[in-house]
Amino acid sequence: MIGLSHYLIVSAILFSIGLVGVLRRRNLLMLFFATEVMLNAVNIAFAAISHYYNDLTGQMFAFFIIAIAASEVAVGLGILIVLYKKYGSLDLDDLASMRG
Amino acid sequence: MENLVYVALFAPFVGSLFASLFGMSERKMFVGYVASALLATAFAASATLAYNLFTTGEVIHVTMMDWISAGDISIPFGFVIDQISVTMMVVVSFVSTIVHIYAIGYMDHDKSFNRFFSYLSAFVFSMMVLVMSDNFAGLFIGWEGVGVCSWLLVGFWYHKPDQAREDNPSISPSWAANEAFIMNRIADLGMLVGIFIIYWNTGSLQYDEVFAQIPYLSDTILTTAAIALFIGAMGKSAQFPLHTWLTDAMEGPTPVSALIHAATMVTAGVFLVIRANPLFAETPEVSFFIASLGTFVAFYAASMALVERDLKRIIAYSTLSQLGYMFAAAGLGAYWIALFHLAAHAFFKALLFLGGGNVMHAMHDELDLFKMGDLRKKMRGTWIYMTIASIALAGLPPLAGFWSKDAIIETAFNEHTYILWIMLVITAGMTAFYSFRQIFLSFHGEDRHTALGFHPHEMYKFVLVAMSPLAVLAIITGWFMGAYKGFIYQLGEGVQYEMSEHTHHLATYLGLIVIFFAVSGIVIAYLKYARTGEKAWKRNEEVEQGFFYKLLKNQYYVPKFYEEFITKPYAMISEVFWTKIDLKIVDATVDNIAKFFYSTGDKTRAMQTGNLSNYLNWMAFGGVLLLVIAAISAMIG
Amino acid sequence: MDNILSILVFFPAIAGLLGFVVDKESARSYGITVTAIEFFLSLWLWFSFDMNNAGMQFVELIPLIPDMGISYYLGVDGISLFIILMTTLMTLIGMASMGETKNIKNMIITLLFLEMTMVGVFVALDAIIFYLFWELSLVPMLYIIGAWGGPLRIYASIKFFLYTFTGSLIMLVGMLFVAFLYHDISGVWSFAITDWYALDLPVNYQLWLFAAFFIGFAIKVPMFPFHTWIPYAHGQAPTIGSVILAAVLLKMGTYGFVRFSLPMFPDASVMAITPIAVLSLIMIIYTAMIAYAQKDMKQVIAYSSVSHMGIIMLGLFAMNAEGLSGSVFQMLSHGIVSGALFMLVGMIYERRHTKLLSEFGGLAAVMPKFAIIFGIMLMASVGLPLTFGFVGEFLVLLGFYKVSPMITILAGTSIILGAVYMLRVMKLAFFGPLDKEENKVLKDLNARETWSLIPLVAIVIWLGVYPKPVLQPIDNSVKALLTFMHDKARTDEAKDMIKVAKSTKEAK
Repeated sequence: MIGLSHYLIVSAILFSIGLVGVLRRRNLLMLFFATEVMLNAVNIAFAAISHYYNDLTGQMFAFFIIAIAASEVAVGLGILIVLYKKYGSLDLDDLASMRG
Repeated sequence: MENLVYVALFAPFVGSLFASLFGMSERKMFVGYVASALLATAFAASATLAYNLFTTGEVIHVTMMDWISAGDISIPFGFVIDQISVTMMVVVSFVSTIVHIYAIGYMDHDKSFNRFFSYLSAFVFSMMVLVMSDNFAGLFIGWEGVGVCSWLLVGFWYHKPDQAREDNPSISPSWAANEAFIMNRIADLGMLVGIFIIYWNTGSLQYDEVFAQIPYLSDTILTTAAIALFIGAMGKSAQFPLHTWLTDAMEGPTPVSALIHAATMVTAGVFLVIRANPLFAETPEVSFFIASLGTFVAFYAASMALVERDLKRIIAYSTLSQLGYMFAAAGLGAYWIALFHLAAHAFFKALLFLGGGNVMHAMHDELDLFKMGDLRKKMRGTWIYMTIASIALAGLPPLAGFWSKDAIIETAFNEHTYILWIMLVITAGMTAFYSFRQIFLSFHGEDRHTALGFHPHEMYKFVLVAMSPLAVLAIITGWFMGAYKGFIYQLGEGVQYEMSEHTHHLATYLGLIVIFFAVSGIVIAYLKYARTGEKAWKRNEEVEQGFFYKLLKNQYYVPKFYEEFITKPYAMISEVFWTKIDLKIVDATVDNIAKFFYSTGDKTRAMQTGNLSNYLNWMAFGGVLLLVIAAISAMIG
Repeated sequence: MDNILSILVFFPAIAGLLGFVVDKESARSYGITVTAIEFFLSLWLWFSFDMNNAGMQFVELIPLIPDMGISYYLGVDGISLFIILMTTLMTLIGMASMGETKNIKNMIITLLFLEMTMVGVFVALDAIIFYLFWELSLVPMLYIIGAWGGPLRIYASIKFFLYTFTGSLIMLVGMLFVAFLYHDISGVWSFAITDWYALDLPVNYQLWLFAAFFIGFAIKVPMFPFHTWIPYAHGQAPTIGSVILAAVLLKMGTYGFVRFSLPMFPDASVMAITPIAVLSLIMIIYTAMIAYAQKDMKQVIAYSSVSHMGIIMLGLFAMNAEGLSGSVFQMLSHGIVSGALFMLVGMIYERRHTKLLSEFGGLAAVMPKFAIIFGIMLMASVGLPLTFGFVGEFLVLLGFYKVSPMITILAGTSIILGAVYMLRVMKLAFFGPLDKEENKVLKDLNARETWSLIPLVAIVIWLGVYPKPVLQPIDNSVKALLTFMHDKARTDEAKDMIKVAKSTKEAK
């Protein structure tokens, strides 16, 4: 029987993959993918727990997150394109203009 | 009569203000005349008050206005005219009047003539405040006021440069002025402390209220108060170890030396002891210390005068020595004798100084006795005056000094303090010796000055005439000792002092002993310095290299000691405080705190790489850290 | 004229704003006119002040944020009245004597704003208003030092700002804590100082709060060892900056002790007597010695200021009317005298562009007027009787003698050490031969300089001879303060220590 803990383990694994991606990736586009993975890990957790408690609020929240993630990606990708046009690169090591 | 009090007090003040109006302009003779006339007015007023007091015996007490009142303290400007203050007023105003007139002649070539009179009159005003005040705070006003005027007057020729101590023991007028002021300030601190003690224990600073409380105060309080006040007196009256300023103060113009550093200001310390006699009478230990110190200073100063070559410095030493006599008398309880000697001394010492000023004027400011000799032919009047003054100083009858000084020496015998008596008698001999050494070296013996290119001339006639009252008083003052005794005895038991039967019987012999010592001093001086021809005095370099001669010549190395062990270390410690402690420790600590923040910021700046990836790493690190902290605190909690 | 205090505070500021449209050439006369009017307003305040009333007068109270108990609350008593007078006087005289020509308009406007903040500090009776003016006063001074100062001006101004600012932040924490305690006890918020007075605090709270306020005030005074900003500030500031700094800004610290620490924390104040006396002693002796070692004339005066502030601090903690009145009086005399001395040094600096003592000598011959006024101020500074400086110093030492004879004797050395360093300046600068060519052509004081100094000379002598008109109102307020402290003190030691004047007891 697949219980709540299995879902949560999957969610945690996914989250960790996303986190490692955030920490290790240098390309901005890849960073976006990694954050999306993390968001989806959270969504899984929300949906599973919502089912477990028979409370729809969690699933509604997951929808919210999907919607926001979509819009965020839209805006973010727009910025990425502008950045790429301006600097010709999406590598974070090349974009350190805020160096203190 | 009350108006006369104000006339006596403020006439010099008006004179000072008047002179100061012209302080920065050319020499104007009338400034001198006006100032002198106002001084004469003050003298007339003082004399009238004295006469009034003598005939009626009524003490006048006036209060002009409030000065300081805060908390429970209330200090008015109040003045009291009793036998003690009126004696001082008459002496001060009389000597100052003559000195003013004298200064018209003496300072006539000085471009700061007007400024001089403004200072001189201001001094007299301060002195009047000092002696007339009816409370300790008022006394302190005068006390500090005369200090400032003395500072101004000693440093009158401020433009003179500093010299090495070997060339000029006083270094420069401005140096001597500062020394005098600072030494007096040291003593003034003692005086202030005395005032504080008196205030907190009696609740008042008025003489009469304070003295009325004395029977109710403990011995410790009285003793500390007496000691503190006497420290104040020691500074003003230049008692050891605060004496070095007085001889250095001779850098000032001679009228100043005559008025301030002989006749008036330096006697303020004696005046204080006499004024506060109810206090000192209750503290026998302090009084005995005063007498002993006075005797010591009398001897000590006289010994230094023995070898001095500088005319004015000899007179300064003799002043120190005579102040010692006055303290001896006051310390032994013979307050009225001290006061009488103070007055007599003021007359003959002022005369001596003014005579010295004549010599200085004639010799173009040369003061070295070894360069004079045989001046009496050219300066007959001055010679007569100075001889009179010296006889009075030496204490030969019937001149003033004999009566007063003899009484002091007799007091020492009467109190069975024989050591003091012996020292005072020996000092009397030394006094006679050095004062006549000075007379003989300058006015008698071989003519040494012509060869050196000096062409001395006698002082102006009017100056000599102006000095004559002092000469007369130097002769006759002593004759009125009995009358004065009657006058001051009106004041009450405190100031009364009588010799015992036993002393009374021996009085003639005691007097003869003193006279013997004095005459021997004069004879020795005559044999050594006054003769001409074959037996004329010759300078003996070998003696001058001797240990004692050098010791005395260098004032027992006391000034040197002060310089090496006080002045220089003070400057050095100040420098260390500033450069090593204030800048290197205190300020550096503050700067280091600021630098710590600055460098922390500077170092952590490296975190700000501008690389988003690094920031994300830090963020993750921070998140984990927070989680860990939360977990740990959950476990502990 | 019910709002006289508000007018006093804001008139200079409004005039300062209007000053932006004033023509550059007439800026100086505009500034002098405004400060003169301000001075006459403060004189009017004095004349309509009720001398027999020891409490707050001309009170204005407008609630600003009633929920938080913050209100616009002003008032004066005998203590603050004369500090205000001195503030307006010194601003007027400082401006009149100012030789500065660079950016004169900005200077005038800055000074007018500074005057607002200074007056504001001394009339504020609400802690927040007080704090507001207290901090605001730093800004114009920062600007004056930073814009018109010497070569090290940036360092000096930042040091001045950060140092005093740090201290006042700690004081602010203390204020907030008092307000919090007040709320705790009474249930309502209030920042009115008069309300705080009623607060009966446990001794350990008093100690902590005393310490917090102490740091804020002590840095401003400046007490040893927080004094090191002052030589830089004075050394770099233009003359007018030094005058205001020495005359007024330093007094804010000592005034703070009188207004806050003493009445609010009587027990803690009594406990602090010994440590504060020791610090004051160090200030008096140590800085007097440092002053002696200085090579720069202005630094001598700067360090002498610290030394004199030590006397003032000592008097504040004498816990009797003699010492406390003397201390407040000494604040005034120090303001006038050190202000005048800084002006004098500024005048010689304008002529020779140096302040080094070694560059001078024999000046009395070419500049007699200058030498005379300097001499008078010097004598006032060393506390000669019948000058302004004596009365306060005498009363302070007299008062503290009751607390500790030993400390008083040591502190009394200030009359010796003061004479030592001041006479050294006099000798090096004014006496001796006139041997430098540059000095032989120096001009004596001109009319503007003379006439800006003469009022100060007159005050120095007048209040030395007849201090009563000023001393009496101060004394009344001080006596009331002591009675209040005595009644409020919790511990018996504090009750013993705080001496209520006999005359107040009899009046009761």
